[in-house]
Amino acid sequence: MRKENLTRELSRRQLLKLGAGLVGVTAAGAVVPKALLKPDRVVEASPAAQDPIIGVYRHFAATDGWIYLPGANPPYHPDNLAPPGLTTYIFGFRDVTSIEGNRDLIFSQKMKCQLTSPMFWLDEWRNENPLDPHDNTTDFTLKLTNLGLQIRPDLIDAHTLHFHGFRNAIPIFDGEPHSSVGVPIARDLTYFYRARDPGTYMFHCHFEETEHVHMGMVGGVYIRPKQNFLGGASAPIARLGGSLDAAAPMGYVYNDGDGSTAYDREFALVMNEVWSLAHWCDSHVQLPEWSDYNPDLYLMNGRAYPDTIAPNGGGTDSATGDLIPPAGRPELKYQPLSSLITCNSGDRVLIRFINLGYVEQSMRLTGIKMRVVGRDATFLRGRGGNDLSFLTDSVHIGAGQSVDAIFVAPDVTEKTVLKLFSRNLAHLSNPGMPGLGGPMTEVHIYPAGTLGDQAAANDWGGA
Amino acid sequence: MKSSSLRRNVLLLSLPLVLAAVLLVIVGSGGIVTAGHEDMPPHGIVCTENASPDGKSAIFSLSTMTGTISLPDGNRVYMWGFSAGGDPFQHPSPTLCVTEGMTVTIVVNNTLDHDVSLIFPGQEDVLANGVPSTPVVDAGTGELISLAPVATANGGSMTYSFVASQPGTYLYESGTEPGIQVNMGLFGALVVRPLAGPNFAYNEVVVSGTVTYTTEFMPDEEFLLIFSEIDPMLHMAVEQGLPYDMNNYTSRYWNINGRSFPDTIAPNGAEWLPDQPYGSLIHINPFNDDPAAGDAYHPHPALIRYLSVGTENYPHHPHGNHGRIIARDGNVLIDGAGQDLSYERFTITLGPGQTTDEMFAWTDVEGWHPTENPIPVTIPQLQNLTFGTFYSGSPYLGATDLLPVGHQALNACGEYYHISHNHALQQITAWGVVLSGHITFTRIDPPLPNDCP
Ligand SMILES: [Cu+2]
Ligand SMILES: [Cu+2]
Repeated sequence: MRKENLTRELSRRQLLKLGAGLVGVTAAGAVVPKALLKPDRVVEASPAAQDPIIGVYRHFAATDGWIYLPGANPPYHPDNLAPPGLTTYIFGFRDVTSIEGNRDLIFSQKMKCQLTSPMFWLDEWRNENPLDPHDNTTDFTLKLTNLGLQIRPDLIDAHTLHFHGFRNAIPIFDGEPHSSVGVPIARDLTYFYRARDPGTYMFHCHFEETEHVHMGMVGGVYIRPKQNFLGGASAPIARLGGSLDAAAPMGYVYNDGDGSTAYDREFALVMNEVWSLAHWCDSHVQLPEWSDYNPDLYLMNGRAYPDTIAPNGGGTDSATGDLIPPAGRPELKYQPLSSLITCNSGDRVLIRFINLGYVEQSMRLTGIKMRVVGRDATFLRGRGGNDLSFLTDSVHIGAGQSVDAIFVAPDVTEKTVLKLFSRNLAHLSNPGMPGLGGPMTEVHIYPAGTLGDQAAANDWGGA
Repeated sequence: MKSSSLRRNVLLLSLPLVLAAVLLVIVGSGGIVTAGHEDMPPHGIVCTENASPDGKSAIFSLSTMTGTISLPDGNRVYMWGFSAGGDPFQHPSPTLCVTEGMTVTIVVNNTLDHDVSLIFPGQEDVLANGVPSTPVVDAGTGELISLAPVATANGGSMTYSFVASQPGTYLYESGTEPGIQVNMGLFGALVVRPLAGPNFAYNEVVVSGTVTYTTEFMPDEEFLLIFSEIDPMLHMAVEQGLPYDMNNYTSRYWNINGRSFPDTIAPNGAEWLPDQPYGSLIHINPFNDDPAAGDAYHPHPALIRYLSVGTENYPHHPHGNHGRIIARDGNVLIDGAGQDLSYERFTITLGPGQTTDEMFAWTDVEGWHPTENPIPVTIPQLQNLTFGTFYSGSPYLGATDLLPVGHQALNACGEYYHISHNHALQQITAWGVVLSGHITFTRIDPPLPNDCP
């Protein structure tokens, strides 16, 4: 009992301080030293009875890891402690749903997290059983397991999953550890979501958030509207909702009633940045001064251009539980999400922009305009039904904000390439390297009928 | 930086204790208030008002003062401020509240050894000593001296006046050496209430079919948060009379209502923050527009008035729910044809010098209940979790449950807390102290009647 209590009150920073100097020990007085004299208790208390799986289920693990980023900014980047071929120490999540049930395999994923974190999506709650007002069929549960940090065994940090923007949240499922609970090393917590409000959201760990979010515990999440299944007055049921009509849209972004948020392909771009000094500090048991924040790498789905347009990863190896790297790019094994946007002429292409960096971005698409139909998981329509959507070629997006933008791919007779990039040109390079880098990707437009349907968001459709 | 990192070591260790002290009071009923602030409500906007008996005008006498404020790393920073009447130094300067149509007169008495002035962004036809207030240019050099006529150093005064013609949330701030003087604290809020009534933000309504949307808010749920930042080197230079080069400007502290978390959630007038009287805790009850709900009937949202005097955009993210942005810079978001231009956001960007009015509510949508509608997942045993200071031990609103022995349990009555913070997360720090800076909390009490203090 006492042990868990100390875990909470003795933050890792205090521990560091205690290890770091006499001042800390003296000042701590009677409050903390007892914790130092006792080794961590590693035996898990009796686990809670396993819940039956409710609705749609995912299992995430939180741990540390290493990734590859281009360029050099000595002595911080590449990190001298990085394994061969990799450069940067991170914290993050992994989706271990496919190895659910093999706890040893799950724990073997320690130090194998990814950037950005696995994306997940929910369908808006629909009552499939009118006799039960709390029908669970379309609910969503997500179990989080804390694997601990391989490189920093001194840190006893908990982790959480904060579903950023979830409306009318209750604290136990909000993942902000002061208002509710955190997940200590080797423990689990199952979060429950009844998704009532479609749109583009994000998630991140909220434990020691300035550090954990910057270290990479960031990802995209979106809620698909029930209009996909139910249709609307001038909105046919979508293919994601079971329609077999090839003329129906793949999906809708919101319950628009009129099909104005229909799309054929969807791509999520999670923006964040890396201050390599801060990442180096974490691997070297140091602390950065956050008011000196000065990132040197700006990323899109955890990669810097030109890696942003490399293929998606190959999923999870069921034998090892580890990730399968993108074809031909072993160093991008833990950065599995491509930012390349592929489409056929005439496709309505949805881009879900998510900014989990600490810096605003202005994302420019050259050549075609985008229609912004949603911001912060809110359909751009006034309470009087008036249209508040707008056309632009520069999407402004602040830290902790999301934007839904749709463009219609123009007619082309051969593959046509457009650029999509951060208009903050100071971000658009990789450290110490000539030429363009950072948060840039491409839009590849093919003649109508070339590409097949996407299997999931960010899929290339066979390109 | 060696000495400051030693300082931080000490303070990091004491932060939980500070937090405990703060929280013991936020969960208490009236809190402890300092002399002169006895009439402050524990939470919510604190207005300085001085309307004439006929309600047609309001007059404020603002004197410049010097003082220091306390920050969570233990530092004290030298500040300037305006105080109303004969009040002692306070930071930020007093929130002036008037009603639409009033003629507002503000007399500045300057005791500093620098000229100062006031500008009133959003107010039209401002007069200074009876003539239009315009920028002051040196007759000889042509150099711009000030954005408004000054109250001269060491005893000068200047009288500004205007008609508060438009309801809304506004700033007043120094127009002289503004980069330095605003950072030093010469700023405050001006609230203009509409004729529609004291519980309305604006007069306008949006009609959509049979529904009419107003800007009415719950009377006890009006909040005002001014976001600012501090470069302590600038303050040290001013205190010591040394020159300061704005090119070296680097913020180290980020404050809401002149306080940095955890002080932000201490009550208005907390005795250990004698010169920082304004708290930022958003204390609300669940929204419920069912007239049959009895005491739990709570049919309007809260109003949160956000203002920024900083130098950067602050992306502010209240957990728990979206807020509806109904006005910016004192302009209600309705177009000339009566169309609604308001919008909901989960993150509100506050630009330098901007104000934003937000209606905020939290609704118990699922109505989870320990026996009648339990959450569908099992919460692990106490040994298998870490527990937050604000947690009641129970997932249910209005319920409390076991917490680990020795846990600093500061939850009073099963109320919910949600953090509300700047999402540029390097700004939720205070020069080396993490979990500080631009953070406050929203406290949601169980529906009335409840046992909450
Ligand atoms: Cu967040
Ligand atoms: Cu947050």
